[in-house]
Amino acid sequence: MSQEESSLLSRLSDAVLAMDEAETVRLAQELLVQRIDPGRGIEAGLVDGMRRAGDLFEREEYFIPELLICSDAMYAGLRVLQPHLPSGAAERKKGIVVIGVVEGDTHDIGKNLVRIMLETAGFEVVDLGRDVPPATFVERAESAGAHIIGLSTLMTTTMGAMSEVIRRLDERQARSRIKVMVGGGPVSQQFANRIGADGYAANASGAVAVATRLRQAPAESRVP
Amino acid sequence: MTPIERFAALAAGRPLDRLPCVPIVGNTAARVIGVRTAEIRRSGELLARAHTAAYRRFGYDVVRVFTDLYVQAEAMGAKVRVPEDETAYLHEPALVDTHDVDRLKPADPGKDGCLPAHREAIARVVDDLGGEAVVTAAVTGPFTNASFLVGAETLARLALREPAVVRHLCEVSLETALRWADAIMDAGASPSITDPMLSSTVVSPRQFREFGLPYLERLVTHIRGRGKAVTLHICGKTRPVWALMADTGADCLSIDNEASLVEAKAAVGKRVRLMGNVPPVAVLFESDPAGVRQAVRTCVREGGDSPRGLVVATGCSLPTETPFANIDAMVRAVDEIGWPPRVTEASA
Repeated sequence: MSQEESSLLSRLSDAVLAMDEAETVRLAQELLVQRIDPGRGIEAGLVDGMRRAGDLFEREEYFIPELLICSDAMYAGLRVLQPHLPSGAAERKKGIVVIGVVEGDTHDIGKNLVRIMLETAGFEVVDLGRDVPPATFVERAESAGAHIIGLSTLMTTTMGAMSEVIRRLDERQARSRIKVMVGGGPVSQQFANRIGADGYAANASGAVAVATRLRQAPAESRVP
Repeated sequence: MTPIERFAALAAGRPLDRLPCVPIVGNTAARVIGVRTAEIRRSGELLARAHTAAYRRFGYDVVRVFTDLYVQAEAMGAKVRVPEDETAYLHEPALVDTHDVDRLKPADPGKDGCLPAHREAIARVVDDLGGEAVVTAAVTGPFTNASFLVGAETLARLALREPAVVRHLCEVSLETALRWADAIMDAGASPSITDPMLSSTVVSPRQFREFGLPYLERLVTHIRGRGKAVTLHICGKTRPVWALMADTGADCLSIDNEASLVEAKAAVGKRVRLMGNVPPVAVLFESDPAGVRQAVRTCVREGGDSPRGLVVATGCSLPTETPFANIDAMVRAVDEIGWPPRVTEASA
C-alpha cells in the first residue's frame, strides 16, 4: 500500500470519527480518483472510523447523538463507494440478521444503533422497524433466509412479545436455523435465559459480539 | 406516622418510624381496582380511584398520579397509541418536518388531550388522601417532551446539527411543563419531574448542560417558588450528571438501578435527598418476596445513611403486572428495618 493510499484511508476513517459527512464524501470521491480499491476504502476507511466511534461510545466519550452523526457520515461514504465495488467482489457478509422493535413499542434508537454496528461489522441487516408483530419477524426471517432474529424493546409490557416470537419459531421447528437475540432497557440475561433466547446483549457492540458468536456456534450446540 | 409526617421529620432531621417507601406504582394501580389500563388513562374518576385504592392497599408514602410520559406531548399534537390493556406508547411525533417547529403551541391543561382528565384525577386524590399522603403527579421534562415532538433520533441528530431548533423545542415544551405544573399545584399536588432522555445512556454531560439544565432550572425554580419540593428522576446511567441534576435546584434525585447509590451518596448526598433504586424488573417484577426483602436491605445498607435522607424506591416505574405480594414485601422490608435505617453487612 502506497503512503498516499494509507494516508487517504486514515483521513477517511478520521472524517467518519469526526462526524464530518462532507469531508467523508469528498475523501471517498478522492479515493476513486486515485483508483484505490473501494473495498479497502470501505473497510480500512469508513468501517474503521465507525468502529473507532463505537469504541468511544463504549468509553462514554461519545453518546448517541455523536454515534448517529458518525453513522450518517459512514453511510454517505458508502453511497459513494459501493457502486464502484467490482461485481462479484468478495462477500463480506457474516450473516443475515432480521431486526426490529417488538409490537407495542416504538422506542427504536437502541435498535438502530444495533443495526448500524452490525452493518459495520459485516452483517446484512433487514430492518423491520418498530411496533412489529411476532408473526412478521418469523415470516420475514424465513423469506430473507436470515440466520438471526434480533428483538428489541424498552418497555416491560412488550417483553411477552419476545417469547411469542420464540414460540412461533419452535412451532415451525426453525430454532436450529434461526437464532434469537434480545436486548433493550428492561431485558436481562436472566430474562433471555427464561424465554429461551440464544443470546442477550446489553448494548450495540455487545450485540455484534453475540451475533458473531451465534454465527460461529454450530447449530447442534444449542442447549435445548 | 403518616407519609406527610414522615417526610416532614426527614426534612427536619428528626427521628421517624421508618424511611419513606415508594414502589413507583403506575398502571399497576388499574389492577388494584380491576380495570383496564386504557380506562384509567382516559377517565379522571377511575385514575383517581385506582391510585387511591393502590395507596390504601400497599401503604406506601407517595401517590404518583401517572400513566405514561406522553400526556403533555399528546396535548401538543403527538399521536399516542393506547392499547386497551397495555401501556400507551408514542405512535408518531407531533411533527414530521422539523421546519414546522413554529407551528407548535404549548398545551392548555384545561382542554388539550387527556390533561383535563388527569387534572381531575389529581384533585380527587388530593381530596381523598391529601391530609395524610404526599400526592404528586408526573411532569415530563422539556428535553424528553421535545423528543416526543420530533422523534428521539431526530432530536439526537438536531442536538449536534441544529442546536437552535432543539432549544426552540425545549422552550415550547418548557412552557407546557410550566402550565401543567401549575395545574398540578392548583389541584393541591406536587409536580415530580421525569426526564429520561437526559440520561447519560443517551446524551453527553455537555448536552445535558446545553439542553437540560437551563430548562429544568427554570421549571424547578418555578415549582419551588410555590412552596413545593421537587423530585427529579432520570433513568439509566446518570453518574456523569449527578452534580448537574443537583444544580437544577431539585430537592431530591431519583436514580435508576443502573446507577450506584453508594456513589451518588458520596457525590451529591450532602446537597440533595436521594431516592432509589431497587430494580423494578429483575426484583419487583420477576423475583419473590424474599428476593424483594433482600434487595431493600441492600438498598438501605448502601444509601440509608445518606446525609439528606433516602427514600427507598424502585429505580423506575413498576411493570403493570408486578405481583402485589412483591409490592407488599417492599413496604414490609422497610418497616422491618425501622429506625435508625441501618442494615449491617451481615444482615443485608
